[in-house]
Amino acid sequence: MSDLSVWIVIAGLTLVTVATRSAFLVLGERFALPERVQHGLRYAPACALVALIAPELVVSNGTLALSLANPKLMAGLAAGGVMLGTRSMMAAMAVGMLVFAGLRHFAG
Amino acid sequence: MQKWLFGPDAAVASQRRRDFLRGMQAIAPAAAATGMWGLVTGVAMVKVGLTTGQALAMTLLVFAGSAQLAALPLLAAAAPVWVVLLTATVVNLRFVIFSAALQPYFRRFSAGRRLLLGYLSTDMGFAVFLSRYADRPAHERGSSEQVWFFLGMAASSWLAWQSTSVIGIFLAAQVPAEWGLEFVAILGLIALMMPMIFSRPALIGAVTAGVVAVLAAGLPLKLGLVLAVVVGIAAAMGAEIALQRAAGNT
Repeated sequence: MSDLSVWIVIAGLTLVTVATRSAFLVLGERFALPERVQHGLRYAPACALVALIAPELVVSNGTLALSLANPKLMAGLAAGGVMLGTRSMMAAMAVGMLVFAGLRHFAG
Repeated sequence: MQKWLFGPDAAVASQRRRDFLRGMQAIAPAAAATGMWGLVTGVAMVKVGLTTGQALAMTLLVFAGSAQLAALPLLAAAAPVWVVLLTATVVNLRFVIFSAALQPYFRRFSAGRRLLLGYLSTDMGFAVFLSRYADRPAHERGSSEQVWFFLGMAASSWLAWQSTSVIGIFLAAQVPAEWGLEFVAILGLIALMMPMIFSRPALIGAVTAGVVAVLAAGLPLKLGLVLAVVVGIAAAMGAEIALQRAAGNT
């Protein structure tokens, strides 16, 4: 990615933050969010995050890598499991990174 | 400094200061997590190839960990700018709901101040603020106490986030590339995502989005991602309606 597009992304992300976080603080007098839209919005972030994460974990060089030897997949599952069990972001990221490093070490 | 921040009237200022400090205190446990998160984001930004200047600008201006972390794999894959921004917007859509909930508290302020208050609101700040003040009757919303409490939380979160992000950015240069530390961004997104999928419709939507994203990973311009989000939301809403109907029939 070129230098210029990185700067455009940074400027754009700043605008995105301000716009989403203050959307209804500023517009709330004039618009109300319909119930149905609110529900749709509630699901959107989870869908976007999973859509970002899933290919990173299971697609490797353009092919599906659903194997126990795939370090990213195993590390991702471990992190998710730890998060479920402990609710600790720290623990989840630490265990995930350890599994990732360990499997990569033994694989190569 | 005190006068500038809390106003010239001594009595008013001391009350404001108390509320501000209580806000800082209330967010302190969460600020530790924010700090870790900042550290990870700082490291990850540099590891996907941003220069120190770009990483510093991103953290100081954007001030949104989830959107920043979501943008990183896309920047690394040289996705088009609009896909990066659209993805960050979708990840940030939860704040649109938060802003609607905060609106009754801040309605008396000018548009400019509301923009600033919105910019400073975070996931954790929102949760702490509403758990404390949501049961107040409508006419008590937006009191000076609430606003200064909010600002105290915001100041604390902002400092925790920025200081650790900056440390992360400079630390990243010391970590060898073969550690694969940029992967920590994905792990961070996983940790962020898990609590969001605890309802059945959300889980169904998320699984659908994941499957579509993998199947469509070969599409150019990361369009598979956009498609996955749209199909995922539709699946979640469909599941919600179906579950309601099923509950109504029994």
